[in-house]
Amino acid sequence: MKDSAKILLAVIVGLTILLPLASTYPDGLETIAQNAGIKETEGLWHGLMPNYNFPHIENSYFSTLASGLAGIFLVFVFTFLVGRMSTRKR
Amino acid sequence: MHIPDGVLNPYVCALTYITSAIFLFWAWRKMKATYPRAVVPLLAMSSAFVFAAQMLNFPIAYGTSGHLVGGTFLATLLGPHAAILSMTIVLLIQAIFFADGGISTFGANILNMAIIGAVSFYFVKIVSGSSTNRKRFLASVFAASWLSVVLGALLCGIEIGVSPTFASAGGLLVTVPAMLFWHIIIGVGEAAITTSLISQLVRVRPTVLNGLAILGWNIR
Repeated sequence: MKDSAKILLAVIVGLTILLPLASTYPDGLETIAQNAGIKETEGLWHGLMPNYNFPHIENSYFSTLASGLAGIFLVFVFTFLVGRMSTRKR
Repeated sequence: MHIPDGVLNPYVCALTYITSAIFLFWAWRKMKATYPRAVVPLLAMSSAFVFAAQMLNFPIAYGTSGHLVGGTFLATLLGPHAAILSMTIVLLIQAIFFADGGISTFGANILNMAIIGAVSFYFVKIVSGSSTNRKRFLASVFAASWLSVVLGALLCGIEIGVSPTFASAGGLLVTVPAMLFWHIIIGVGEAAITTSLISQLVRVRPTVLNGLAILGWNIR
């Protein structure tokens, strides 16, 4: 369990450092949609943190970082719970 | 490669939902039968890592970027069944909280990324399963992760190509070559990242691949 905490910390530190270096270009699928002249449709669901922006944080780096940390936490907890349900006790 | 809402036709949504549900059922059953509870921390951490890694786009060419998908990485650490489950949770959180990938297209995104990524590990098993050669193992991981992105992109190209949204843009004849073009390049990034992660992990902690012994697979 000690190792888990270390790796989780490394993931958070890694994200904090590498986030400013991440490319903001569209990905392959988005490029294709743009070239095809397809506008993003107004879907029914916009998520709670659309475009990886944490609500009420003005600075874009901290906003994305906060949403990333929230996402890491959510994925970790949710996988942990589903993992407990889907594995054997012993 | 996350397909947003409103891009796929309803039949494609339904078909991909059903296909993904079958694979999820298969993965769940296998996990319930063979995986001990001790793998859960590794499972949760690896998912969290993949989520963070997917936020970090790397530029490729002509103003386009790509990011790690991580299916092959997860499958190499945890086996394909756990990888499907873990990747599906990453996609679920992305769809619900970040609207990264739609709700109606969730089945397609699971198929293109979670299932193709996880199943790509069978390539590693076939090519280097009985060999003790470390280089052969890493080369097969490289090939499997590249293939997983290219095959996922091919499926994605077909799914969007048969949908009315892309019909005016030329349909399949445009979407399939375009998806393949970008993801043949992005796949090299996926393969490079996956292979260096796995080789570092194996170097630092040689027992890291022991998880696969759960499945009775002796991969080194």
